[in-house]
Amino acid sequence: MTAIIEVKDLVKVYNGNIRAVDGITFDVAEGEVFGFLGPNGAGKTTTISVLTTLLQLTSGECTVCGYDVVKQPTDVRRSIGLVPQELTVDDDLTGRENMMLQATLYGVEPKVAKERIDELLALVKLEEAADRMVKTYSGGMRKRLELSEGLIHRPRVLFLDEPTLGLDIQTRTTMWQHIRDLKKSSNMTVFLTTHYLEEADSLCDRIGIIDMGKIMAMDTPATLKKSLGGDVISIKIPGEVDYTDVIQSTSGVLSVKKEDSSYRVKVINGETATAPLLQEISKKGGAVTYVSLERPNMDQVFLEYTGRSLRDAEQSGGFDKLAASRQMRRSR
Amino acid sequence: MMLRETYALFIRELKHWYRAKVQIFMMLIQPIVWLGLFGQAFPIKLPPVALNGAPDYMSYMSVGMLAVTALFTCMFAGMSVVWDRRFGFLNKLRAAPISRGSIPVSRVMAAMVRAVISALLVLLIALLFAHIPGLQGLTVTADFGILNALGILLILMLLATAFAAIFVAISLTIKTQETLFAVINLLNLPLMFASAALFPITGMPDWLQAVAKVNPLTLAVDGMRQLLFAGSEGIYPIGVDILGLLAFSLVLVSLGIVVAMRALKEK
Ligand SMILES: Nc1ncnc2c1ncn2[C@@H]1O[C@H](COP(=O)(O)OP(=O)(O)OP(=O)(O)O)[C@@H](O)[C@H]1O
Ligand SMILES: [Mg+2]
Repeated sequence: MTAIIEVKDLVKVYNGNIRAVDGITFDVAEGEVFGFLGPNGAGKTTTISVLTTLLQLTSGECTVCGYDVVKQPTDVRRSIGLVPQELTVDDDLTGRENMMLQATLYGVEPKVAKERIDELLALVKLEEAADRMVKTYSGGMRKRLELSEGLIHRPRVLFLDEPTLGLDIQTRTTMWQHIRDLKKSSNMTVFLTTHYLEEADSLCDRIGIIDMGKIMAMDTPATLKKSLGGDVISIKIPGEVDYTDVIQSTSGVLSVKKEDSSYRVKVINGETATAPLLQEISKKGGAVTYVSLERPNMDQVFLEYTGRSLRDAEQSGGFDKLAASRQMRRSR
Repeated sequence: MMLRETYALFIRELKHWYRAKVQIFMMLIQPIVWLGLFGQAFPIKLPPVALNGAPDYMSYMSVGMLAVTALFTCMFAGMSVVWDRRFGFLNKLRAAPISRGSIPVSRVMAAMVRAVISALLVLLIALLFAHIPGLQGLTVTADFGILNALGILLILMLLATAFAAIFVAISLTIKTQETLFAVINLLNLPLMFASAALFPITGMPDWLQAVAKVNPLTLAVDGMRQLLFAGSEGIYPIGVDILGLLAFSLVLVSLGIVVAMRALKEK
């Protein structure tokens, strides 16, 4: 695997005192979907802005597709696509006109562009609305248009800054599907940021947890979850007999906690450990009336690595930037 | 290919303009009101000699309105730049592999086209006013031919280019709409009144005359009056007016591009 994005000791200080990114180092492999997960103000957009040449870094080294973002910004720009956090599609053009403009800016031949535009608009289900002014679009439609704009020149690396911010669950799920489809159909590398745990979990090959400008942890979603110490199986065995020892001696079990007739069993892997465990219990005459398997989720991972839950971290923000920016457009 | 992206951005600007019908209407309503009220209600009785050869004050002032319309239209070109920054469109352009110069150049071109079209519409309206009974309008007394028409077009284009360059550069350095408005207001009235656009400069105090004589608005109206009115005694010969405007627009465009490129650099 070759690294297509390389970031070494990146620091960005705004106005001499706001340390938005505080010495981060990471690589992204070609073809990978890599996600930055973090609360508001963590430094996600700042990192993307540096990598997409929009922002001058304070110190450190970054290369994208082998080009240095400071010394070869034009080469970087040519190889990447950016779907920014805020909606930047042009309200007073139609969807198709927006796409055509983007294609021209990225030097796509008009003939090729026309074909690709049809293709992409179909992909994000905007064919019907393609010739309408964007100001008549809903927030979700704009976001989808924005996504397809980022793809018009088939970039090697696509940067998605909060691709589903402000979208409803249904649209978010379709958006994820679009991103997965894209990844399947081309060997594009995707760098995305999000503060939705489910998004990071279901979309990314690897996740970096970022908080206050620092990477707190970085691995695959599965490994991160595993590092929390395995899954929890809850079982209920009515009756007076204590099965703690039986459970404890079953292979794969880490610990047991008994509370009345309920047991919380920590295991390395819940999926493979459940069946043998139930067998052992029934061998000893236990009648299990209830079983549930709990796997640690990203929320717990976040809590583990940053010392606070993502929802708490978010609370102070009190935001819906997308809604806010849409309102701003209205008052235009 | 700088041409391709400049052209695409230029077309985008024009599409914005002709689709915003209200905006065009508002842009034109102001000069119409001025011509209709200001020009009619305060008829200044001056002989043609004092009016650069214009047969009456209304004709004199109509020419000034053409130039002022161009000035106002260019000022508002700055607005779209500020909006584009606010909504991230500017950043999108900055992330694109285009030559940065295409951003100011496309806007200056579009502002110039808008300004010239608006000014020509005002010209038509002023001419029309002269034919409405009870109203005064622009009466052309020169032997008006194709060369005169081209001369007026050229003067308006040069004037608009110069102003567009200033305002596009200013608005690229400015971050908010409020600041832009403040700057526009600061420039707007002095530019208009310290010129021969609305009043003959001979009646002005010396210091104001000195300023008015180097104001591009003065050069533009001075040139256009010589093209419209027979026996017009210009402040300068028409060739000087045109060359002066050419110099102004060349200097301001170069300056504007330098300022714009600095403003577009990543921070
Ligand atoms: N232009 C700027 N000037 C000064 N400070 C800034 C600027 N942009 C961002 N910051 C600060 O840098 C920090 C990181 O901001 P950034 O936008 O990178 O966060 P983020 O992770 O993208 O958050 P969000 O989820 O809200 O988009 C924040 O504390 C923010 O206030
Ligand atoms: Mg952000």
